[in-house]
Amino acid sequence: MKRTVPLVVTFLVGMFMIGEFFIPHHLYRVWTAEFLVWGLILAAAAFVLGLINLIQVNLPKVLRKEPDWGYKLIMLLALAGTLVAGFAGGQDRQTPGTVYQWIFDYVFVPLNATMFALLAFYIASAAFRAFRARNLDATVLLAAAILVMLARVPIGESLPFIGDYLPRLMNWIMDVPNIAARRAIFIGAALGAVATGLRVILGLERSHLGD
Amino acid sequence: MILANLFLTAALAAPPGDFTVTSPPHSDGLNLQLSWTDPGGTGFAVLRKDAQGTYQLSSILPAGSESYNDKVTTDPRKDPPRESYTYRVATLDADSALPPLADDDDDAAAANQARYVAELFDRSANLSPEVTASPVASWLNTSPGHLLLLLLIASVGGLIYWFTDQARKGSEIFIRRIPGIDAIEEGIGRATEMGKPVLYVPGIDELQDIQTIASMLILGQVAKTVAEYQSEIIVSCCIPIVREVADEVVKAGFYQAGHPDAYHPGNTRFISSEQFAFCAGTNGIMLREKPATNIYLGRFFAESLILAETGYINRSIQIAGTAEATQLPFFVAACDYTLIGEELFAVSAYLSRDPRLVSSLKASDYVKVFCVACVLLGTALASIGNPIMIDLFTIGE
Amino acid sequence: MLDLLIKFQDMDRRWVFLGMGFAILLPMLANITFGFEVDERVQALYDEVEALPAGSTVLLSADFDPASRPELDPFFRAHLHHLFRKDVKVVMVTLWEFAPPLILPTTEEIAGKHGKEYGTDWAFLGYKPGKELAIKAIGENIPKTFPKDSRGNVTTALPVMQGMKQAKDFAMLMSVSAGFPGTREYVLQIQGQYNLKMGSSCTAVSAPDYIPFYKAGQLFGLAGGMPGSAQYEKLVFPDGPPTSGPAKGERLLATQAINVLNLGHLFIIALIVLGNIAFFITRRIEDQG
Repeated sequence: MKRTVPLVVTFLVGMFMIGEFFIPHHLYRVWTAEFLVWGLILAAAAFVLGLINLIQVNLPKVLRKEPDWGYKLIMLLALAGTLVAGFAGGQDRQTPGTVYQWIFDYVFVPLNATMFALLAFYIASAAFRAFRARNLDATVLLAAAILVMLARVPIGESLPFIGDYLPRLMNWIMDVPNIAARRAIFIGAALGAVATGLRVILGLERSHLGD
Repeated sequence: MILANLFLTAALAAPPGDFTVTSPPHSDGLNLQLSWTDPGGTGFAVLRKDAQGTYQLSSILPAGSESYNDKVTTDPRKDPPRESYTYRVATLDADSALPPLADDDDDAAAANQARYVAELFDRSANLSPEVTASPVASWLNTSPGHLLLLLLIASVGGLIYWFTDQARKGSEIFIRRIPGIDAIEEGIGRATEMGKPVLYVPGIDELQDIQTIASMLILGQVAKTVAEYQSEIIVSCCIPIVREVADEVVKAGFYQAGHPDAYHPGNTRFISSEQFAFCAGTNGIMLREKPATNIYLGRFFAESLILAETGYINRSIQIAGTAEATQLPFFVAACDYTLIGEELFAVSAYLSRDPRLVSSLKASDYVKVFCVACVLLGTALASIGNPIMIDLFTIGE
Repeated sequence: MLDLLIKFQDMDRRWVFLGMGFAILLPMLANITFGFEVDERVQALYDEVEALPAGSTVLLSADFDPASRPELDPFFRAHLHHLFRKDVKVVMVTLWEFAPPLILPTTEEIAGKHGKEYGTDWAFLGYKPGKELAIKAIGENIPKTFPKDSRGNVTTALPVMQGMKQAKDFAMLMSVSAGFPGTREYVLQIQGQYNLKMGSSCTAVSAPDYIPFYKAGQLFGLAGGMPGSAQYEKLVFPDGPPTSGPAKGERLLATQAINVLNLGHLFIIALIVLGNIAFFITRRIEDQG
């Protein structure tokens, strides 16, 4: 019963939602739209559970003063502060001058931008480490990467012999093999997704139910 | 007076010609397609009779328009579609009244509209004749593209059952070796030897995304293997509901392995639903708890390289898998093993070797061969100017 | 020699970070500039916007957050200047919850400089959650999706929204998109269905994914990442940072940043080349020894 009911529900709802793509009738779509709304409500309700989990995991570590408890304390204080500022601000919390907006402008925006900026450094170190011509595949990857990067910098166009051809070569690499490979990945992934979806809907895949 | 009337008549544009109203094919029953030929003019006003028989303004269209798709109702539950609808289209010209402004006051807005419609009727030479049509709702979209897609999905399903039947009868189903998936068990073994946990990141997208679903299916197998090896697993989640499902999956995995006491609820963690906050939190887990093996399976975005590089700093074995083509290059550069696209969806079948799951891999492979054949045929035909394959595979309303 | 080469290949990544840091700082401190050409996709985008008649209305979906702001905000600013100086009206929406505090002050500033009035020349209808569902709803009925704008006005009462019920009623749809939901979802959900004229500015990492849409004619133009933003700035402000008129004081940040990007690229290329030279020499020495 514990396993059968979820399988039956999964099958019925899954087949019903697949039907939306093939059945245009508005009476059918009223119900599929309703299911989607139920899903959004469930996901929103889970945010409360997420908040509880954050506190449940981190507060005991702060109270027991486990290693690195200071970072968890900062996280909890930031969580509490932003929640209070958000609730206090209400509908107008994003108005300039409010505490919530100040937190957004002077804490969230710079931190977010900083994390994204780390990519520049990490790309450099990853490229230095990974782009070695160890074998044919790696050499092709390396050559394509260098050609595309060179073509994007003005100095590439001023190189003797190849400078004039670089932009065309770069466009060809981006427009032909790059897109062909992406489309191949996309088609393969789409078919894999269909197979996975069917496995779950038809009850063949049960590992998420503990079977 | 006669001269003035002549001038007035001379200023009037001709009404739209060949005005028709039809129900579009494969319609949801809430649309009607209007079409006409453009006689010139500065625009068009579409009028529709309401339930009381009074014409209301439906839309104003720019010059040159020759069609309009009218949605007869936006909320079929509160305002169900009627049996039929009557339309007229007016050609606007330089002497036409200005369109009515909407108003906060509903009564004022309605009065403005009524006045405008009356002015349009005053210049009746611009108006098309009345045309009445009924919206027809289809119960099945029978366009070639949709039917072909239905056939493809049914084929995958049918082939799954056929191959499963074959497997039950004893025939061997071959899957090529995928080093990245083999490395998952090796990674768990490594973590056990080092006394360090395994870190599992199921991507940052919502639960309904197919890559997240695939990740949850794999997590069950991974959790079971971790429990069998008596190691520890930390799952770092970006979406709260994914965290709830992951928690249940990990618990089930530990129970299945016969080690329910080894399950720690605090090891399945919600970090943050904000992308880079989640990334920072997961990096913190890596740097503090130093997992021996990092497994990234799911849908990732810009945080993928930051996660992978931080894992590299830790000297963790890293296995990544995503169908997100934009992030694959970063995983390939920074991880030890990368599962590309459909390999992510093959992991649970590969790990379990369950005949039913392996059959589904075989089924999707056969359909893939069919797709490749269609691509080759379609390319050849399109090259000689025959669009039959393109038209066959077009999915449209 | 062998030890040195091996050390170079395995060098502490912090030296790489330091080098990258210099490559980023140098153009800002030493006023190093590189010229650049305009891509045909960005030129096509500019030309299509330039061809808009005065008085037409554009639907602008600005979907980015603080992380992607450096790449997309310069395009966003240049695009608003472009539209307003052509007397094109702008109706803006967003599908990203962190976008409004970024895009609204920018639009108010630029609209103010061009003397544009809220409600008559431009409007911001607000943020709509729901991702693909929100996009479908925008395709079907905008006033129903946004019954009130961000200032609480009834959407249908706004002069700029007169005659604008669906996305296809607008002269074009411009998607300034940092990811999901964004350009791809607009193309898949409503561009084809309503045959919308649609352009996009996106992050550099997403641009290769959207090139097929451009090639298929689903996008009339595409500006990818910082280079795309810089190229668009070059077209909108061909004489460089404007010193007079409504755009006076506009800093053209993407054009400045492109120099950082170029030097950064050169640094990475140099690292890769040197790393491979060291790798080959090491292998040769080891093979011989």
